[in-house]
Amino acid sequence: MKLTIEREVLLKSLAHVQSVVERRTTIPILSNVRLDASDGRLRLTATDMNLTVAESVCASVLQAGATTTPAHMLHEIVRKLPEGGEVAFEPTEQVDRIVLRCGDGIFSLSCLPVEDFPADFNAELAHRFTIPAADLRRLIDKTRFAISHEETRYYLNGIYLHPVIEPKPLLRSVATDGHRLAQVDVSLPNGADSIPGVIVHRKAVTEIRKLIDDFDGEIACSLSDTMARLCFDSVNVTTKLIDGKFPDYGRVIPAANDKIMEFDGHGFMNVVDRVSTLATDRTRSVKLSLAPGELEVSAISPESGSASEKLPVLYDSDAMQIGFNARYLLELAGQLDGERISLAMNDAASPSIMRDPDDNHALFVLMPMRV
Amino acid sequence: MAIRVLPTTTVNRIAAGEVIERPASAVKELVENAIDAGARKIEVAMNDGGRTFIAVTDDGYGMNREDLSLAIERHATSKLDSEDLLQIETLGFRGEALPSIASVSRMTVTSRAIDSREAWSIVVEAGEARDTEPAALATGTRVEVRDLFYATPARLKFLKSARSEIQFARDVVSRLAMARSDVGFGLISDGRALVRLDRGGDDMLDPRLARLSAVMGKDFADNSLAIDATREEARLTGYIGLPTLNRATARAQYLFVNGRPVRDRLLLGAVRGAYADVLARDRNPLVALFLDLPPSEVDVNVHPTKAEVRFRDAAMIRALIVGSLRRALADAGHLASTSVGSTMLDAFRPHDMPEKSGPAETLGSMGRSVTQPSYVNPHPQPEHTDAMINPNSLGEELSEPSARDISEYPEANEYPLGAARGQVHGTYIISQTRDGLVIVDQHAAHERLVYERMKSALEQTGVARQGLLIPEVVELSEGGPEHLLARADDLAKLGLIIEPFGPGAVVVREVPALLGEIDIQGLIRDLADDLEEIGEAFGLQESLFHVCATLACHGSVRAGRNLTVPEMNALLRDMETTARSGQCNHGRPTYVELRLADIERLFGRR
Repeated sequence: MKLTIEREVLLKSLAHVQSVVERRTTIPILSNVRLDASDGRLRLTATDMNLTVAESVCASVLQAGATTTPAHMLHEIVRKLPEGGEVAFEPTEQVDRIVLRCGDGIFSLSCLPVEDFPADFNAELAHRFTIPAADLRRLIDKTRFAISHEETRYYLNGIYLHPVIEPKPLLRSVATDGHRLAQVDVSLPNGADSIPGVIVHRKAVTEIRKLIDDFDGEIACSLSDTMARLCFDSVNVTTKLIDGKFPDYGRVIPAANDKIMEFDGHGFMNVVDRVSTLATDRTRSVKLSLAPGELEVSAISPESGSASEKLPVLYDSDAMQIGFNARYLLELAGQLDGERISLAMNDAASPSIMRDPDDNHALFVLMPMRV
Repeated sequence: MAIRVLPTTTVNRIAAGEVIERPASAVKELVENAIDAGARKIEVAMNDGGRTFIAVTDDGYGMNREDLSLAIERHATSKLDSEDLLQIETLGFRGEALPSIASVSRMTVTSRAIDSREAWSIVVEAGEARDTEPAALATGTRVEVRDLFYATPARLKFLKSARSEIQFARDVVSRLAMARSDVGFGLISDGRALVRLDRGGDDMLDPRLARLSAVMGKDFADNSLAIDATREEARLTGYIGLPTLNRATARAQYLFVNGRPVRDRLLLGAVRGAYADVLARDRNPLVALFLDLPPSEVDVNVHPTKAEVRFRDAAMIRALIVGSLRRALADAGHLASTSVGSTMLDAFRPHDMPEKSGPAETLGSMGRSVTQPSYVNPHPQPEHTDAMINPNSLGEELSEPSARDISEYPEANEYPLGAARGQVHGTYIISQTRDGLVIVDQHAAHERLVYERMKSALEQTGVARQGLLIPEVVELSEGGPEHLLARADDLAKLGLIIEPFGPGAVVVREVPALLGEIDIQGLIRDLADDLEEIGEAFGLQESLFHVCATLACHGSVRAGRNLTVPEMNALLRDMETTARSGQCNHGRPTYVELRLADIERLFGRR
């Protein structure tokens, strides 16, 4: 393999693929990025066996070939090379070495045979559709905060993506960690009405979100029961899906919460943030005391003292008190884009629903806290 | 094959298999008999690990000729008056010991009853008794067992080395001796005295503590707290070690129920529970606890060797133990074991010292043999000697250089942890006390203080609970749900709300918010196991306290931070008034104390 490539092009693409590579792995070759050079393009591939990211970039290929070399090391080197430089890869006498040249710098890197690199996941996937990048960003952004980190409930370690036909065709993503739940819809893309419900792992979600950050176009998706692939630009992401059953989340979304409060989101977040300063322990519980037209947010700590602040709200049901984790409240409220927030409650022990009154396609369920 | 009734000798050998496991079991049965016979002095002699010879001699009531021939019959006993197994006040009662031992050995029993002028003896070989013969013996009984297990060669093969068999016997004798400080005990193995415990009584100290320290070591006596608590009809007495005196195994935990040494899971679990907060999980405290309760409240007839017992009201017993031990540990406040100080002294000792002699002797002899000829004036000046003897003048001398500090804190010398004199390496506080000096690890000490404060805050406000959007169903093994649900109220106080969910499962509705996102399945299973095994839901409290401990660690003064003198004194005062401040969360000491006497020894002045 022999080629030259612009440093900036290589760096950008390396940055994309290297974050898939785990820092510590038991299989040495998984630390490596695969480099394939042919027909004027360099293709970089990295995988952790579940998630594979491949990207191809323009290069002047003098001699086709393929190899693998440590991904993080290569990324670090290229990052430190002078801007605007030209990077050259050259073969050496030894099979297990490749030389990288840039200016006067010479780096000889160890290689592992390309045959040992896990086979690319090129299988044909049954369902195909395209989705605007903005829609996919919305599906991810508003739900990923609720993904569970608890490994034993692995089926909650991702976002659940599935089509909804009634009452209106939608593509919906749901995530929950058992304490709160996020549900967001976008309009259903053509051809996605018969796709199976799939759970995309947190790591894949994170990587995909990074890759589509500055992309504005249509993303070609294809998926099966066990795998999903996204193609856009010159990037190709393939991920295995979580093999599990997402719980019947519809059951936990209350339909009859009739105590509805509406308030200014920005002001509410400021108040909760201020008052919860007093709730010093890790639980950070705050109490919402509702009376017609007025909400009092209060927190108490046996060590530090107490705090409370009132704010005007639209509320005309019975007075009630309900406790929440302040961090959860702030995270949830942060997902809402509009100025107003509505919170629909039933009682201090059952779930409440937070939403933007002008956006029917995103809702957030939060379980109260009891002291 | 036709069914037939087994001959008596075979039945006895089967029974012997249960009761007489090894020479130590024979020793145990015989010594218990001697105690039940009201002996004041019991001598045990063994040869070859008890394989060839065991003799137990006592000065108890003894037996007359008729009793002697009856005693070797199965289920013959003087200890059970009626047929009421609920009123057992003696160590033995099954009437199995002598016939069982006799059935697997050559046994001679010689005895003279207290009201008799003559002694009689009887010989039994492999269960076959001969006629009684006249013999010579002072009042009491002597049982000689020769060639134990010769009649059951299989058992003989499974015996361990003579050394370890003697060790077992020694353990048995020690345990019984701890329970009865009013009886003298001796154990002689192949002519060598291994145990020599004289009758207490005229000891100035508590005779029981003297006996305990003879068995468990002097460290224990110096670093233990007395326990005396009563609940209903049960009374718990004894001594427990300070948390900083701990061991890797639970071997040094001696528990007695009505004077009977037991190794009962419930009791050991309760002890562990009481210490859970001050010791790391893999360290074990030293305890010697005596539980006395009416015989009708406890069933000792559970286990052939009576190592386990069953209580009528197990929850009450557990509460008594956990409650009284925790109280004692909390009252002990900041105490840390002095063995910590002596370890430090050992470290101070110059390296070229002979290793065998104890620190006191070594230091003393160094003072004479090395220091005197070269450095000390052969005619010491009288006033100098006075200063050394008179502790008051010495105190003044030492205080003088720091008079300014003392005037700033005139009360300093009145406090147990003294007045802070300075900080070294930004980590350790040096403080002067009335009769020594104290070195405090500032981080460990402050961490413990913050932790104790958090815990009491937690108790005040209750544990906040986070409701679960999707209640978690946990499948459990047989009995698990019952154990958990029986304690549902206690768990609710710790922030865990569970409800029954069909057979073999519970559903979790709310979890302690402090734990954040947790593995609920794992937590519930661990709790069920804890409850089943030791009857306490340690796991949950431990996880809660662990979070507190981690937060405490971050919220406390780090090593390397310079403290001002008022800050240091404030820390010392806090330690004196805070429960359990003598050790960090893992049982390591937060401070060590060096007594003036120890310091003087270091310099050969004593």
